[in-house]
Amino acid sequence: MAKGIKIKFHPPLAITLLILGFFVFIPMLSAFEYSIRTPLTGGYGWDHYLWAIREEDFFHYILRSMWLAGVTVLITLFVLVPTLTWLHLSNSKVRGLIDGLSLLPLVIPVVAFAVGAQISFPEFVQNTVLELPFLYFVLALPYAFRSLDIGLNSIPLKTITEAARSAGANWLRTITTIIVPVIRGSVMATIALTFALSLGEYTLTVLLHWDTFPTWVTYVAQENILGAIAISMMSLIIPFLILTIITLFVPERSTQGRK
Amino acid sequence: MSSKSLTLRNISKRFGNVKALDNFNLEVGVGELVALLGPSGCGKTTALRVVAGLEHQDSGTVLVGEKNISDVPAHKRNMGMVFQAYSLFPNLTVEENVAFGLQMRKVSKHVRLKKAHELLDLVGLDSQSKRFTHQLSGGQQQRVALARALAFEPEILLLDEPLSALDAQVRVNLREEIRRLQLSLGTTTLFVTHDQEEAMAISDRVGVMNNGVLEQIDTPDALYNKPASSFVAGFVGTMNRIPAQITDGMVEIFGSKVVALKRGNESGKVHALIRPESISVVATTNQGNAKVLTRSFMGASSNIICQTEDGTIVQSLMTSSSTGDLHPGSSVQLRVLSSEVLVANV
Repeated sequence: MAKGIKIKFHPPLAITLLILGFFVFIPMLSAFEYSIRTPLTGGYGWDHYLWAIREEDFFHYILRSMWLAGVTVLITLFVLVPTLTWLHLSNSKVRGLIDGLSLLPLVIPVVAFAVGAQISFPEFVQNTVLELPFLYFVLALPYAFRSLDIGLNSIPLKTITEAARSAGANWLRTITTIIVPVIRGSVMATIALTFALSLGEYTLTVLLHWDTFPTWVTYVAQENILGAIAISMMSLIIPFLILTIITLFVPERSTQGRK
Repeated sequence: MSSKSLTLRNISKRFGNVKALDNFNLEVGVGELVALLGPSGCGKTTALRVVAGLEHQDSGTVLVGEKNISDVPAHKRNMGMVFQAYSLFPNLTVEENVAFGLQMRKVSKHVRLKKAHELLDLVGLDSQSKRFTHQLSGGQQQRVALARALAFEPEILLLDEPLSALDAQVRVNLREEIRRLQLSLGTTTLFVTHDQEEAMAISDRVGVMNNGVLEQIDTPDALYNKPASSFVAGFVGTMNRIPAQITDGMVEIFGSKVVALKRGNESGKVHALIRPESISVVATTNQGNAKVLTRSFMGASSNIICQTEDGTIVQSLMTSSSTGDLHPGSSVQLRVLSSEVLVANV
């Protein structure tokens, strides 16, 4: 016989849901409700969404932001997974230093960061939009670093690394065939965090005079605020769908019971 | 690939101020199983890790057969290794774990899975091949680790205390299984353990290490009966150290004179080194030379702890049938059963 679902009252959970509801869900629902208003008829409709899709720049900018976010994710994983693996295995004192350094993007104002980049970067770097993924990587560093750090802390990294190497795997194969799949949860969280942060980054992008999806939305908002909200709502759904697809396509393997 | 001999020449390794290996030398013959035994921190695991390529020696040479592999990275050494901690890959099934080494050697999927099943069959786990490792018991996990280490036919098999995390009965079964497999495959094996019973039970030769040097390497019998140093005598098995005086090459113990076997310049006051089974304890109604402190029944044999008149604690191991009248507080007569005893300086 199926058991009835019992919902117990947990005060901390209730408080969390209350705060989330008040500051996230209600504003989002309100924005959605606002975006489907049709002021001329006084009712609701999808006019603004259809308008947004018909805007030829919509797909141009969303695709641009998505590939920039994708490149940022690749940079993050290529740089951080081997670095953190080495830091964990070597028990180096540098780990504490790097840990502290990774927090710096949280305390450095983005404006200062952008101005510094403009002053110091050579022209050939400033002339390419590829400077953005590297800068987004730095902005995402505090979150990506911690997410991967937690994953690597939760597994017997030294033992399985040595087991893989003694079985004939070089460092690249050890990382790609063993370490990354074993910390899959952390890697997925890192991808999600980095992708979302890169996709939504506005201040740094606009200060460096680049146009991406968030800067275009701001531009659109100046002439059609309801259309801009509709675009923003869609921009929430697209990365969500992409991350869901990634999660579904990466094969689920059992990593339970690890020590 | 056939098994090869293993030679370590003048290996030294330091960790900061600690000398883990000090001019360490070792030879393991083709198809031989050699155990390295010693207390914690003696350098036995470091020696194994140097062989595996997981640590790099400060100086010295590692040879497999005639080939110098001192600077060859771990993944190119072709050595199977079983670790103390469970080291299976949690993202892979049992058969994928066993086939991993072959996958790294670019063996086709069909061949490597066939080989994995052969090995799993050898360790009695073929029926578990599709399971994930967390679904196995500790003993099963170490069996899979053993199969994984052997699947790619390594030149050398390295066992780093593979039984220490297991229950007593599983340990005994698995050590016998390791020996059976090692003998049938003829794989040259270096086995590190701190459990002397384990080392003695399955090894062709046992090397006893202390402070980064090999004190003695010999067959289990020779190691037990002819220890080369006071440390080996004390470390391997139980050894009574009974104060005695050497006079004309003889020592007097419990009122009898026996030949003193010297290994160096022992003279004057020494310790006579006597195994518990070489001391008999006989109950006496007269004034004996010791009193029984405890008697521990262990089935076929019993362990008797006595204290002599001068306060020395003496341990004896006797067949249980001859110890029925020995009770705590009984007055007893101790006697040395051997005609010669090892001696060590005090």
